[in-house]
Amino acid sequence: MKELALYLVAAALYIALGVAYPSLLLSWFEGTAFLLLVVWIVPSLIRRLQR
Amino acid sequence: MSWAAHDLEPYAIQRHFGVKVAFVPLVIGSYSPDILSKWFVYGINVLGAEIRADDPVQFHRGWPGVGFTHSLGYGMLIAGLIWLIFGSRIWAWSFLLGHWAHALTDAGDTIGTMLFFPFTTETFGLGAWAYAGQYGRLVDAGAYFSGLGFVWDGVFLVYGLLSWRMFKREYFHEVIVKADPRFWGWMGRWLPETALLALYRASFFYGATRWIAWIIWAHVVHDFPLDLSWGGPGWIDAAYD
Repeated sequence: MKELALYLVAAALYIALGVAYPSLLLSWFEGTAFLLLVVWIVPSLIRRLQR
Repeated sequence: MSWAAHDLEPYAIQRHFGVKVAFVPLVIGSYSPDILSKWFVYGINVLGAEIRADDPVQFHRGWPGVGFTHSLGYGMLIAGLIWLIFGSRIWAWSFLLGHWAHALTDAGDTIGTMLFFPFTTETFGLGAWAYAGQYGRLVDAGAYFSGLGFVWDGVFLVYGLLSWRMFKREYFHEVIVKADPRFWGWMGRWLPETALLALYRASFFYGATRWIAWIIWAHVVHDFPLDLSWGGPGWIDAAYD
């Protein structure tokens, strides 16, 4: 469930940013980097800081 | 011209063929016809200078131009090269499926694609939605997300959501990795499972979110009139072959 929640947060943020700045919606690489940031990199950093 | 279909269709194809296709070359194949040329169709601004094809429609879909990248033969040629260079039949076959899906999907617009190049330069198209790439990215987006094009994208979005089990960790290991253990094994040396899963799901994420965002942008932020008639929207002067 936590994993699904992260993906839903990533989707909501990306949609909101994309509507505000449509140029963000034009690159697969940017979209993928954004997804990796939200579902992998940020949670990993938070886990490290909590240790 | 399609927007989210090329992101979403590989998941439907993969679901159908299971371990008989490798997912990564399937996605690369799905993006390949436009991968080097789309920027020149819409144009880019470099230090105040606009760099753009003189005739975007001709350049994108015609000959002379790079329309041959949307032909079935071009897909076979690149797939053959993949087979020769990498010695992987599943990579070649998967690339071919992705490429053909792109070429056939783009045949849904008013220009169509040169499917049988080099035997003929005639384009084959259903004319279901307007080709408006000649007006630049934003107007094209407004037109595409107001006609039947975005409905076609939506079919694959709904298919993917109904097949939600294909995004599960178990499916990734039992089907996606099993079909292409060399690639995913190599990636797994550098990245954790969470990142590998995100990469596998990335195109669906990208296709689904941009599909929703563009619809909001076109019909809430702006006021592009919705027109689901064949060949529409009628308010844009669509390009025809």
